[in-house]
Amino acid sequence: MRAALVALSLVVAGAACADEAFVTNQTGDDLTVLDLAAGKAVATIPIGGKPAGVAVSADGARVYVTSPEGKSLTVIDAAARTVIDRIALEGGPLGVSVHPSGTPVYVADWYAKHVLVVDPAARAVTARVEVGASPSGLAVTPDGATLLSADRDSDQVSLVDLRTLKRVATIPVGQRPFGVTIDRDGRRAYTANVASNDVSVIDLATQKVVGVVKVGERPYVVGLAAGKAFVSNQYDESVSVFDVSTLKTLATIPVGEYPEGVEASADETKIYVANWFSNAVSVIDVATLKVDRSLDVGDGPRAFGAFIRATPAQAGP
Amino acid sequence: MKFHLVAAAAALLVGFAGAAEAHGPTRQKTTQSIEINAAPDKVWTVIGNFQDMSWLPPVEKTEGAGGNDKDATRTLTLKGGATVKEQLTKYDADAKTYAYRITEVDVKVLPVSNYSSHISVKGEGDKSTVTWQGAFYRGFPNNDPPPELSDEAAIKAVNELYQAGLASVKEKVEKGS
Repeated sequence: MRAALVALSLVVAGAACADEAFVTNQTGDDLTVLDLAAGKAVATIPIGGKPAGVAVSADGARVYVTSPEGKSLTVIDAAARTVIDRIALEGGPLGVSVHPSGTPVYVADWYAKHVLVVDPAARAVTARVEVGASPSGLAVTPDGATLLSADRDSDQVSLVDLRTLKRVATIPVGQRPFGVTIDRDGRRAYTANVASNDVSVIDLATQKVVGVVKVGERPYVVGLAAGKAFVSNQYDESVSVFDVSTLKTLATIPVGEYPEGVEASADETKIYVANWFSNAVSVIDVATLKVDRSLDVGDGPRAFGAFIRATPAQAGP
Repeated sequence: MKFHLVAAAAALLVGFAGAAEAHGPTRQKTTQSIEINAAPDKVWTVIGNFQDMSWLPPVEKTEGAGGNDKDATRTLTLKGGATVKEQLTKYDADAKTYAYRITEVDVKVLPVSNYSSHISVKGEGDKSTVTWQGAFYRGFPNNDPPPELSDEAAIKAVNELYQAGLASVKEKVEKGS
């Protein structure tokens, strides 16, 4: 029995090693593709317009990158690692999320009180959905029914019904929520609140905040893995870890300078953290809560959004 | 003398870099360093006190509270009367490093917002390196900034400030007692 479990965990670990990271380098104006099994950069894709937000589609085929200064959405063929389109947008495109079905793409306009609905095939904005001020992080529930927008300057999260494209609720959270992360079963969402140095835990069924967890200075976003939440603290060179059931703090892990984007590997054994000032991605072991290694990327990595791509496992092509 | 002078066109945009205020989409960073022919301890005696920024040329007076403890504050009065308010966020005398942020500054004085900074001294024997790094957004919080409040203007102003400060530290330490 024990041997079987070990064998199973080895298989799972092996599959996870096929992950890739698509890291937006805002200062460098490009994107680094990291092969996370090999632990090295395998491609640098020029983007332009100060890329920040990133969203890998659920099937791993496409990567969407926002350029807030260039006012555009870049479409990348993830397997080929090439830019296949660049769609002109408006305002300050920042947060981005893809519908689980693969389309449309939702883009937060940092300077407006709305989220753009972008049809990448038509290369057009098909709707503008009203939310709060300075929408930042976006996330779609796994069932594809609801979009969450962290409305930074309204201290709230907006919930949008994706069938009607109408806002159906606003949930007050901490001060200046930036990143918003939904767990894999669509039960809870977590906002990193930049100004109040805490995380709001939202129950999506009741649309209420059910917990507040103190973290470090200037939290950016929350990553989730194996029942733990990992929060990047921009001003503390650290990641705060808490248990999502008890909401108790488990550890504070030193990482690079100005940690920003955080996401888990597909098998939830690793957490990847983009360190904006250090130009490196820290790899945290979810079991030991230690940094395994640091991988070099381009200049000013933000990786704001879903930047991990689970590539087909060894059995694949 | 101000940290930096920007055109009168910016006069209407009197912004205060409070905690996590609205800002542009692209944070800027810079790192400046200088080699000093002196032991790290000696350099630290010049820059290691958060309540004394007399080593930075535009600063006429430093007044504050809390010493070198985390969350200590200081108000820098610049030649000409402008003020900059700052808060200490990290201090490690053993590692000879501290971090602080600007809590209030007029963009006419320094065209940045949400500014945070680290300064550190490293070295051996009679050689030291002081490294000063900053992270900040431009002074203009929206898109399409006027040139004097652009990303480039912010980087230029901070680089000039750091270079002047580091040169001043080097001079004070190397010529000092």
